[in-house]
Amino acid sequence: MSVIDVEHVEKVFRIPHEKRTTVFEALTGLLRPTDYETFQALRDVTFSVEEGEMLGIIGENGSGKSTLLKILAGIMRPTSGTVTVGRRLTPFLELGVGFNPDFTAVENIRTYATIMGLSKREINGKVDEILAFAGLEAFRDAKLKNFSSGMQVRLAFSTAIQTDPEILLMDEVLAVGDMEFQQKCMDVLNRYRNEGVTIVFVSHDLGSVRRFCDRTLLLNHGEQVALGETDEVIDRYIYGRVAEAPVVAADPVEEAPPAEEASSGNGRVKITGVTFLNKFGAESGRFNAFDPMTIRISYSARERVPDPVFGVALYSERGEHLYGTNTELKDVLIEYIIGEGHIDLQIDRIPMLAGRFLLTVAAHTRNGERYDWQDKAYSFDVIPTGRDAGIFDLPCIWRW
Amino acid sequence: MWWMMFLDRMKTLYGYRNLIWTLAWGDFKQRYKNSILGYFWSLLEPLLMLVVLYVVFSNLMRIQVEYYQLFLLLGIILWNFLSRATSMGLNAILGKPSMVQKIYFPREILVLSSCITALLMSIFESLVFIAFMGAFQVPLSANLIYVPLILVFLFVMSLGLSLALAGLNVFYRDVQFIWAVILQAGFFATPILYPVTIFPETLRGIFLLNPMAHIIMTARDAIIYSTPAAAGSLLYAGIMSVVALLIGYVIFAHYEPRFAEEM
Repeated sequence: MSVIDVEHVEKVFRIPHEKRTTVFEALTGLLRPTDYETFQALRDVTFSVEEGEMLGIIGENGSGKSTLLKILAGIMRPTSGTVTVGRRLTPFLELGVGFNPDFTAVENIRTYATIMGLSKREINGKVDEILAFAGLEAFRDAKLKNFSSGMQVRLAFSTAIQTDPEILLMDEVLAVGDMEFQQKCMDVLNRYRNEGVTIVFVSHDLGSVRRFCDRTLLLNHGEQVALGETDEVIDRYIYGRVAEAPVVAADPVEEAPPAEEASSGNGRVKITGVTFLNKFGAESGRFNAFDPMTIRISYSARERVPDPVFGVALYSERGEHLYGTNTELKDVLIEYIIGEGHIDLQIDRIPMLAGRFLLTVAAHTRNGERYDWQDKAYSFDVIPTGRDAGIFDLPCIWRW
Repeated sequence: MWWMMFLDRMKTLYGYRNLIWTLAWGDFKQRYKNSILGYFWSLLEPLLMLVVLYVVFSNLMRIQVEYYQLFLLLGIILWNFLSRATSMGLNAILGKPSMVQKIYFPREILVLSSCITALLMSIFESLVFIAFMGAFQVPLSANLIYVPLILVFLFVMSLGLSLALAGLNVFYRDVQFIWAVILQAGFFATPILYPVTIFPETLRGIFLLNPMAHIIMTARDAIIYSTPAAAGSLLYAGIMSVVALLIGYVIFAHYEPRFAEEM
């Protein structure tokens, strides 16, 4: 039985060129028509969530995830389309709504719990439990403004999870806090899930989405791109964006330097481009950890060049040299090259766990004379699929 | 039917009574929490106003009214309630962005609870008035039974105005300044400092269009002068307060769906 039904939901925001925010402006502006841009945040989104199901919503920033969540929560109304929610719904869009810095921890627990829909009696019975869970028993009567932000988040979280939701909407609440806190969040999420609470979960953390969500909805520029099995939808998300620039991430730390500046060599062989191919043979800038990947190095040689050596070196984002190899080391003999062509480096299983990686490519002679050398000119992202920590997967098993 | 919807809405709000009270009480506490003298100051404010106005109007203007101090103080307290409730209600939505944008409950709760905060503050203020009543040994009478009704009218009217203002203020940010001017003018246009009888009959009619005039007059009659409240005044005040609430609610409901986007 479905507990959330979303049918043909559209959301259009009108962004006026000149915003009239006063009565005066509204009156003087009566004669002139208002110019405005429209921004379609959601277009024709249709899905339903079954009772007890956990649905993930993923997509780039600005793809409409949060807008959709707010519409589900009743905070915003859709421009057209209908949303039917069949059960009591608790949104966790922000922790600590209504927190007042001038009040004590206990007073804030009471207010926040009331906002989250707990009754007076429930709250009275739970205050001690909440403080204990947050590890703040000693600060019962301290004012909130004297709490560190971490303590405030813990207090808010401990209070929020006392609610007994039938449907839970979860935005990127989990993005805050340290590792331990995130782990606590995950445990709670899991508990709710096991209790049969219907959950709608918006996250950038594809690892968590993969672990928890039964089904996933992928949004792109407000459009419903895919809805279905989580693994398939995540693949679609990661690999579905063919022919976009390889460097794509939520917040690019630093663009890879342009090839010209960092390249050197005598130019008899020119490396004209490097592309990363995913398991479907399509170009991509990001990869699931442990998926196959092919690095295709395109070159052009104006004249016949005998016995060239092609090499690659892999760096972490911070510039640590992780790995390097070349055709000579792998005993691959290239008799000669001439004109345009490419050489592939095939990786069966990407052993990196997560992060951005930089690639240096080079072509040189056997005795090291450079034809072309492009230092850290290319990059790709690896998206975590598991929960192991670190950069690399170490093939291992525990015995006990 | 609209009144069925209205009743339904009331039922929903009743389900949120705990939240309404928590928000109102929290706000009330916070207003006095920052200084130990907080409560004292809040009593001092109407007293100072009383002293100034009393000196000016009883001596310079030579207004001759029995129990003029009480007459004045009651008017000030009732007017202060309207003024405070609407000024606070005006900001009830705009002043709490996270409650509007991050969670959902019927938004009129924010306005309602701010009016209740204003009520708590006014109840506190009226302690001064009660003390004055005792000091002047004003005889009490059975006419006090009108008082709760008059106060309900006052509250309902203030709530209606607050709802309209809160909704409008989200979209037109100068509403608060316009309203401040209206309140200022209203203070002098309402018979707070003077009895309406200082005007000639012809002019009086205009002043009596103001429902606040009737509320203050009937309250004075019932509390200070042991006179039953005039039925006509009560009826007028009652009708106007219900009209204010309905119109206010309609305006609020018109703007409410776009609150989260506009803030």
